[in-house]
Amino acid sequence: MPEIAIQTQKLTRRFGKLLAVDAIDLQVTAGQFFGFLGPNGAGKSTTIKMLTGLLAPTSGSMQLLGQDFATHPVEVKRQIGVVPEGMGLFERLTGSEYLHFVGRMYGLDRATTRRRSDELLEFMQLADRPKTMVADYSHGMQKKLALAAAVIHGPRILFLDEPFEGVDALAAGALKSLLGRMTERGTTIFLTSHVLEIVERLCSHVAIIHKGRLVAHGSLEELRAGISDEEGNKTLEQIFVSIVGQDGTERPQLEELSWLM
Amino acid sequence: MADVAESTGILEQIRLVAGLRWRILRNSLRKKNNRLDLIGLILAGILSSVLVLGLCFAFYAGAYTFLSNGRPGWMALLFWGIFLFWQVFPVLVAGFGANFEFRTLLRFPLSLSAFYIIGLAYGIADFSAIASLCWLLSMSIGAGAAKPGVLPAMLLVVCVFALFNVTLERLIGSWLERLLSRRRTRELFFALFVLSMISLNFVTPLLDRYGAAMRPVILHALPYFAWFPPSLAGRAIAAMAQLQPAGFLLGSAGLLLYVLLFSALLWRRFAAQYHGEELSETATPVHAAVRPVRGETDTADGLGLLSPQVAAVVRKEFRYLTRNSFAFLTLLMPPLLVLLFSSQFAGRHPSIGGTGVSTEMFFPGIMAYLILILMAPAYNSFAYEGRGIQIYFTAPLHFRQVFLGKNLMLVSVLTVEIALSIGMLTYRVGLPSAHMLLATIAAIIFTVVGQLTIANWSSLNFPRKLEFGQMRGQRQSGMAVLVAFGSQILMGGISAVILFSGRWTGNPRFPAEAFAFLAAAAVGGYFASLDALTHLAEKKKETLIEALCR
Repeated sequence: MPEIAIQTQKLTRRFGKLLAVDAIDLQVTAGQFFGFLGPNGAGKSTTIKMLTGLLAPTSGSMQLLGQDFATHPVEVKRQIGVVPEGMGLFERLTGSEYLHFVGRMYGLDRATTRRRSDELLEFMQLADRPKTMVADYSHGMQKKLALAAAVIHGPRILFLDEPFEGVDALAAGALKSLLGRMTERGTTIFLTSHVLEIVERLCSHVAIIHKGRLVAHGSLEELRAGISDEEGNKTLEQIFVSIVGQDGTERPQLEELSWLM
Repeated sequence: MADVAESTGILEQIRLVAGLRWRILRNSLRKKNNRLDLIGLILAGILSSVLVLGLCFAFYAGAYTFLSNGRPGWMALLFWGIFLFWQVFPVLVAGFGANFEFRTLLRFPLSLSAFYIIGLAYGIADFSAIASLCWLLSMSIGAGAAKPGVLPAMLLVVCVFALFNVTLERLIGSWLERLLSRRRTRELFFALFVLSMISLNFVTPLLDRYGAAMRPVILHALPYFAWFPPSLAGRAIAAMAQLQPAGFLLGSAGLLLYVLLFSALLWRRFAAQYHGEELSETATPVHAAVRPVRGETDTADGLGLLSPQVAAVVRKEFRYLTRNSFAFLTLLMPPLLVLLFSSQFAGRHPSIGGTGVSTEMFFPGIMAYLILILMAPAYNSFAYEGRGIQIYFTAPLHFRQVFLGKNLMLVSVLTVEIALSIGMLTYRVGLPSAHMLLATIAAIIFTVVGQLTIANWSSLNFPRKLEFGQMRGQRQSGMAVLVAFGSQILMGGISAVILFSGRWTGNPRFPAEAFAFLAAAAVGGYFASLDALTHLAEKKKETLIEALCR
């Protein structure tokens, strides 16, 4: 039986009266490249924050690699890497110093931290400006640095929130192949992105959250099979629109903008 | 084809900008959930109004007296007062007040002339401009009451003088904006500004010593001031009061020339902005030169005894300190303050006269003052973390390690600062008795460690994000300030009572023993509090992340 990397039971989060995440049951097998999709405000970031320890659930439970987050937070965190919303960088450090800081925070020894940070900076093409502070990096460079920091300790689960946003095509290609190789070696990747083509190309399994509720969950083939289709294979975008747009509230009414056309 | 809106008139655009500023102010008030902030704003508003109205009366009385008592030449003094306030006050508050980037208006379809006029109109909405206009109006009324015939000339000169001031103020603001657009320059500017403000305290001792020698130099330079705009404005009014139209025309023409000169310069600055002047802080792109990264971060730093996480936090805190030029330069303050206070209140030649404060009193007093200053940032210790705060919650560590790292760094800085200050005190004033020295050192340990526990709690409960090198809109949480104030009064009060108890009881060893006991208790309490604070951090993480990541 395959190892379960992420499992949630009735995971719920409220902000006052707003029910941001409504009792979701999620299961991600180890080694999966998992896409977590949803329209704006659906509850994606809230779910990722709960799964990475940045936000406490109102109710429900979650286990990562078989360990309960609530009872073993440090052990769980040791095995996960995360690129949080806004990237979570210390802007007054240089890229190298930041990676060194993160490596040490994850308990790596100094020599390993140094070796890995050098390799990661080279791979991310950030090694040519060793004295530049993170604050002076472009958005894409910051994103690459955040990714490097998320993997420096060799996590078994990687949470990525819009990882390719602002990253140039060359670097994005290299990153995709790196992430692909990580999943081949058993790393689970939990990815959110609004670019559905990327999710479709990279992910084997997908979950869709809408208004805080999990409305679809499974492999791409299973999702396609779940949609009545007369014209053959549907793209992920068509599946997404079909599932999320069922209630008709997501579709902008173009007729109302006639003055623009 | 989409409809394209017709261009809006300049007056309408000014009205829109005024409305925008008002809405920004109104919304910022609505957002404030801290009543202390609102009370502070109301109090500041009342005080400002009283100040402006009081000075309105003073300017009215001044103008009336000078013109009715046959001293019209003195009118220049009033213009000088207004000129200095109008130009200097905005520079002083530039870093402290919330601001709206008027250049963001450039995204809208504005002509250069509209941009220029809106820029000028924007300058009239500043506090210094409004207050100065009130005073100029009061002066005009005073002048009109004293000599009704002068009123038309006075109004004309006041209009030109106001135009000159608003133009110059906008020009200085624009130059400052350009100068301070680089973070490093900004930090250095503010640090030097603070140091220069402190250095103002040296003016009195310097004047006492060199005042007499400087007097002839000042008197020699005085006539040259007659060609400056406030003197020209005063001269024009004085000439009109003495029925000398040639003098009036000369003064007014001179003033007008200044207006034209500075308008041309301001037009040039605004044109540069209008055409897309780049003030970005991003470093100039450089060609990538692939070279290996040396292990610059891995030098031996004597932190090997600490856990990797604590050592990483200490190292990061040290780098943040050295890169915050403002904070780094203000570390010069404690020895400077020791020098200042010792020259005024103690030692062999106190400038206040008499024999000065005794070393037995001065030494603990100055130490208490230094701790008061140096401990203040600890009450909002996550202020500069920004989005980086998230790593403390995603990394596999206990939050006590973060506090240990941060507190260790602060204690190291305090140790260096206090050692430097003691060195300075020894040189300037001498050391107190051994009993008092020991008691003060134990008291320092007690107050610092005791405050650290409270400050850590405050940092978790009342976090407020601060930006590096910026003083604009940078305010601590009102509650954090209150907690800091309360705990420092408490610690200071306890320490004072114990120090004096040595005298009252006739046992000079008692304060040292009592402080040693309290210091031990504070250290024990500190370590005992770390686990509780770790739990609290877990509870407060959402508040922290929300406050620091915005």
